[in-house]
Amino acid sequence: MSTALSLHRSRKRKNSVMMALCVIAAGIGLAWLALILGALIYKGLAGVSPAVFTQMTPPPGDAGGLLNAIYGSIVMTVIGIIVGTPIGVLAGTYMAEYGRFSKLTTVVRFINDILLSAPSIIVGLFVYELLVRPMGHFSAIAGAVALSILVIPVVVRTTEDMLNLVPNALREAGTAIGAPRWVVIRSVAYRAALSGIVTGILLAIARISGETAPLLFTALNNQFWSSNLNAPMASLPVTIFQFALSPYEEWQQLAWTGALIITLTVLGLSIIARSLTGRREDR
Amino acid sequence: MKPMLSTDLNAVDTTVEKAKIEVKNLNFYYGQSKALKDINLSLPERSVTAFIGPSGCGKSTLLRVLNRIYELYPKQTAEGQVLLDGKNILDRSQDLNLLRTKIGMVFQKPTPFPMSIYENIAFGVRLYEKISKAEMDNRVEQALKRAALWNEVKDKLNASGLSLSGGQQQRLCIARTVAVKPEVILLDEPASALDPLSTAKIEELIDELQADYTIVIVTHNMQQAARVSRQTAFMYLGELVEFDRTEKIFTSPREKRTQDYITGRFG
Amino acid sequence: MTAVAEAATSSATRTREATVRRFAFTDMVFRGATRASAILVLVILGGVAISLVTGSWEALSKFGFSFLTTEAWNPVTENFGALAPIYGTVVTSAIAIIIAVPIGIGIAVFLTELCPRPLRRPIGIAVELLAGIPSIIYGIWGLFVFAPFLQTTIQPFIINIFHGIPGLSSLFAGPPYGIGLLTSSLILAIMVLPFITSITKDVFDTVPAVLKESAYGIGCTTWEVTRRVVIPYTRVGIMGGVMLGLGRALGETMAVTFVIGNAHRISASLFAPGTTISATIANEFTEADGELYTSSLVALGLILFIITLIILAIARYMLLRIDSRAGA
Repeated sequence: MSTALSLHRSRKRKNSVMMALCVIAAGIGLAWLALILGALIYKGLAGVSPAVFTQMTPPPGDAGGLLNAIYGSIVMTVIGIIVGTPIGVLAGTYMAEYGRFSKLTTVVRFINDILLSAPSIIVGLFVYELLVRPMGHFSAIAGAVALSILVIPVVVRTTEDMLNLVPNALREAGTAIGAPRWVVIRSVAYRAALSGIVTGILLAIARISGETAPLLFTALNNQFWSSNLNAPMASLPVTIFQFALSPYEEWQQLAWTGALIITLTVLGLSIIARSLTGRREDR
Repeated sequence: MKPMLSTDLNAVDTTVEKAKIEVKNLNFYYGQSKALKDINLSLPERSVTAFIGPSGCGKSTLLRVLNRIYELYPKQTAEGQVLLDGKNILDRSQDLNLLRTKIGMVFQKPTPFPMSIYENIAFGVRLYEKISKAEMDNRVEQALKRAALWNEVKDKLNASGLSLSGGQQQRLCIARTVAVKPEVILLDEPASALDPLSTAKIEELIDELQADYTIVIVTHNMQQAARVSRQTAFMYLGELVEFDRTEKIFTSPREKRTQDYITGRFG
Repeated sequence: MTAVAEAATSSATRTREATVRRFAFTDMVFRGATRASAILVLVILGGVAISLVTGSWEALSKFGFSFLTTEAWNPVTENFGALAPIYGTVVTSAIAIIIAVPIGIGIAVFLTELCPRPLRRPIGIAVELLAGIPSIIYGIWGLFVFAPFLQTTIQPFIINIFHGIPGLSSLFAGPPYGIGLLTSSLILAIMVLPFITSITKDVFDTVPAVLKESAYGIGCTTWEVTRRVVIPYTRVGIMGGVMLGLGRALGETMAVTFVIGNAHRISASLFAPGTTISATIANEFTEADGELYTSSLVALGLILFIITLIILAIARYMLLRIDSRAGA
């Protein structure tokens, strides 16, 4: 009797200890992440001023802004999305619709998952070999292509997943009134999966707007304003990288501010994306 | 009229009526497994035929062969003949989209498209017909009236089809099917997801529609089959056990298996 | 009258048939486009592999297998070896995973079993949002906030504690630079933490409620249910998540590049600066002059690609297994 009781007590004690550890883990993890965001906001906000959005990146030791970097980021992100999204949506469509039962789909799904989590610096190397080396110079185009390669797997994945959630009955109903497959996909399946697919695209934008590694040796960087797609172009992440590692205080401050801008953008996009799918789940 | 061989058990007295669909020696396979075994039957024009039987007996499968909707999935194959007005629709040269404009289908669960009520109906019409806005308005109205839904939705045609109740959604699906002017309408347990009141409405509707359409309904509800159909096919384990006039099936079936099923001894 | 009607019907039939032909054509084109896009995904991965192999050919044919076993990295004499970056990559990722996994699982247990219901969703969402924060943010924080903090407080303290203890004293040998292998590992751990947490939480959610309830029903404590039911049931999925996190840590570039110190040498001390594959590429690629130098960097990329490919394939395989079970 007493051994059973003491056993019970020791089990309870063990439970309390382990549960306390879990709470501590959660506390540490969350506090740590909060610390990062706190530092980011604190240091980033200090440098926020109109100049950040109106002036070019300065030479060492001077004041300036991030205009050309922000512009470059937007340009390359937009091109990356414009190139990558249709390919991703189409490929996802094949996997969920025409090729749902084919072997090709299984293979593509596996490869796509690999691409999805492959190191982005590898993609940078690939585009370097593919475009930069043959062209002989760095360019915004190469940077945009590298970003689009990062967009594709994200969009493929969400498009396939979201189309797979569309009930088959809906497809059958479309087919049953005589609509050909592409009309069923366009007017029924895409519509039903729209918010999910848009979410995927937003997540893809969020992902590439903070990517640095694939741009380092594709778009490189540019101290000055450039809208020439065939020439190196500045981008926010690469500028942050360069400025943060520099010994100049003005540059370091701009790096913090840039980091804050990127984080807010990414968080904003993720929250919008999340609220889109959240509404869907509630229904 | 061509006299039918009416000595075998599957025969119905169709000599006075034109057969709209004739199924001949139909076998159906899911991969290797045989789901329909040598089905022969003939569905008369402008009347309601019910397929009944325990679940898994192949009644839905048979229905899905009639508009070849099974072709959406791999490894499903049909052998034999299904004649629509004397033309074999299982023929490879048959265009499937065209076939499905002639043979409409309504499903177990309501399947409104994610668009407005108006668009739900106009969508199918627009596929094969180029008509003016006024004509389209008219078509939509007629279809909704046909499905006894017009009075309930005429003020909110731009509302989403998903905003309707289950019974209304199902009638919208019927309206959508009617709007493309099919010759045959297939109903796959159309009331099984609905409440009794909506079910009654649907059954009423079926009764009205048979003046213009050849209707085939799959149901697990025997009372429903008795209420709406003129002839009933009882299926069991992929075979057509008995096919006859509905009152005959329910009052004096020839087969013991049929009797067992309708008296509730199995299934 | 009938002739007119018939003519109308036959013209309607004709337009219908024309429509059908147009539909069939569009369908063929659309289908072709989707299929081509799907194949493009394969081509991209193939292209990545081929370009890495051709790009690294010069280095690999010059150094051969010894590329993997040489510590030297000398651009002046053009003698390159991958051992130091490989060592740095493996060590930092391994330490990061060792730190992040227990904490990640702890948070997942907290979220699924202990957390008050109203807080569960917000915290879960916060964790997932954090998983999407770009790595450069972690890098800049590591460089400006975390490394100085380590340098002035933690590192001197640890060096003092372990001073004179054989083994540990060399593992934690000074001087305290702030940046180095351990700092990189810690940053990586923070980075993969949200990732591991959200996957673990997801697989915890696949445990059928009845299974947990029946364990509680025979009097198990929360810890016993977690330890004996939830974790065994989701072991494969957790491993998959850990592998994915490992894949991320191995390939992570920016967070590490800021704080690793970029020294091509293998030191016994975790406080010493080192380098990783991705950090080496990021730091040196644009400045590399000479084909052999560039080629050696691409060869590093190839090695990283192969390592992550293997890890990711294992991870996907494991997650696939738990998916198919959840589906069944």
